Amino acid sequence: MTFPTTERRRARPRSALIVSAVAAYLITFLVLLPLFWIAVLSFKPNSRILSDPLGAAAFTLDNYLNVFASVPLLSMYGNTLVLALVSVTVGTVISFMSSFALSRMVFRRRRLQSGLRLYLLGGLAIPIYILLFPVYRVDIALGVFGTYAALILPYIAVTIPFNTLLLTGFLRDFPGELEEAAIIDGAGLWRLCWSVVVPLMRPVFATILIFNVIYVFNEYPFASILINNPAMTTVSLAVSQFQGQYSTDYGAMMAASTIILIPQLVIYALFQKQVIAGMTIGAVKG
Amino acid sequence: MIWLSTRWKIAIMVIPTLLFFTLFVVYPVGYSAYYSLTDFIGFGTPAFVGLANYATLFSDPLFWRSLLNTVVVLVISVVVIIPASFALALLMRRPFRGARMLRALVFAPGIIAPILVGLIWVFILDPKIGLVNQLLTHAGVSSPPIWIGGPTLGPVSIALVFIWSTVGFAMTIFYAGLQLLPGDVIEASSLDGATPFQQTWAITVPMMRETFAITAVLVTTNVFKIFELVYQLTGGGPIHKSETLVSYMYYVTFTSQQYGPGMAFAVIITVLGAIVSVGYLALLRERKDVVA
Repeated sequence: MTFPTTERRRARPRSALIVSAVAAYLITFLVLLPLFWIAVLSFKPNSRILSDPLGAAAFTLDNYLNVFASVPLLSMYGNTLVLALVSVTVGTVISFMSSFALSRMVFRRRRLQSGLRLYLLGGLAIPIYILLFPVYRVDIALGVFGTYAALILPYIAVTIPFNTLLLTGFLRDFPGELEEAAIIDGAGLWRLCWSVVVPLMRPVFATILIFNVIYVFNEYPFASILINNPAMTTVSLAVSQFQGQYSTDYGAMMAASTIILIPQLVIYALFQKQVIAGMTIGAVKG
Repeated sequence: MIWLSTRWKIAIMVIPTLLFFTLFVVYPVGYSAYYSLTDFIGFGTPAFVGLANYATLFSDPLFWRSLLNTVVVLVISVVVIIPASFALALLMRRPFRGARMLRALVFAPGIIAPILVGLIWVFILDPKIGLVNQLLTHAGVSSPPIWIGGPTLGPVSIALVFIWSTVGFAMTIFYAGLQLLPGDVIEASSLDGATPFQQTWAITVPMMRETFAITAVLVTTNVFKIFELVYQLTGGGPIHKSETLVSYMYYVTFTSQQYGPGMAFAVIITVLGAIVSVGYLALLRERKDVVA
């Protein structure tokens, strides 16, 4: 009588696995359905979107031609890229420098060292919405309002807490012997950081870079307040204007959304691992 | 290391970060806190008015409405996301072909700019052109619900879209938590004849208590930050009926330019967020104590 049970035990997981797989594929399809929906409709003429959205007929590129003619895609992406490049580069470099000092260097007063680290990490609890108006005033006071710097400066500042969390967490576990060896070999602070520490931290930097670039690309609240010049419009800001710009031209709106969506998904597909690590590291590592 | 740690070297390493952080994060927080106590109108010398701005805010029914809406979004989101993403993590953990890819795909909505997520969902939820109501009409429903733009369902729809963009993120946290569970406990229970359901309910869930708590806290902090979704889906309307805390604060501060009450509003949101964060840190500390 033992044979049938073992047999069943072997057989059940297999059919259960198939059921699980079907369920998982179905759920994933449902999650992605909104994206398919706008992508499909973006190829339909406006007249059909309302009357017959589920019908298969009528394929057109008009919506895309319309968007390419009316949305300054090149300047939007150009602006966003400049912001991302400068703020992420500066932010990563200075966060690394301070994190290195706060976790590896020897302070006369240890309290000061751990206090400064907590000071920076405290920023994790600050919602950016409390910063919006004051940052606008600071930008005006510094005379940078109306320039890229108006956004670059706060972008650098608000990524510091997260970068500090990640970098100090990693640097604390950095092998001290490597450091000592380099110093005995006569390396100064600069060479120690640049040729010994940084190369070993590539995965951490990858996570930080990708995560921060996505932040800048997706950022809307600061951009909506600190950009007053249409020529400086970022990608997020442009998306916020689509509903007003096209009002009832749904085809164009969907085409525009699809055009913005695709690069985001491609970047995600390429750097999936770093993106997921960046977004969940606080929760998983603690 | 001590040879390299001269005072000026440390200063060079630390000062740029401190400067940026202090000027663009710490000073603004102080600025908002201070001006929330004045009758600041954008120029001139503000007079100190004590807690008058807070009183103004508390006597504004729309403030309470936005708080209520945020709570509605919060409750729906937590109640749906926590069990759904945990179940999804269990499902995606099964060793079928493509599981890895599906996990990445379900996470994908979380990286789309919130401002774009809002716009995409307009095409799904719009009462006239949206996918949901088109399907309902096809199925013979004569007057499908007004998901967005109507007087009641706004917060529910906002919650729905928030759930869509967050469930993959929550699933990933649960998935990581599941990977850390010791396999031998589960194995032992199988030998004892426990069914998969019993295993999940009596062993996995209790062992993952902290992961549940952490996910709930993260979902909560993210709900308090919802802004772009409201902007795109309902614009806070009709007549501010679907505002959340942040979207209404944005309106008070920037659209109607009531800086005093706006700053007070921002302070309140920050304090609410801080309470949640403190709870989160306390949790992590507890977890570390358990490990140690």
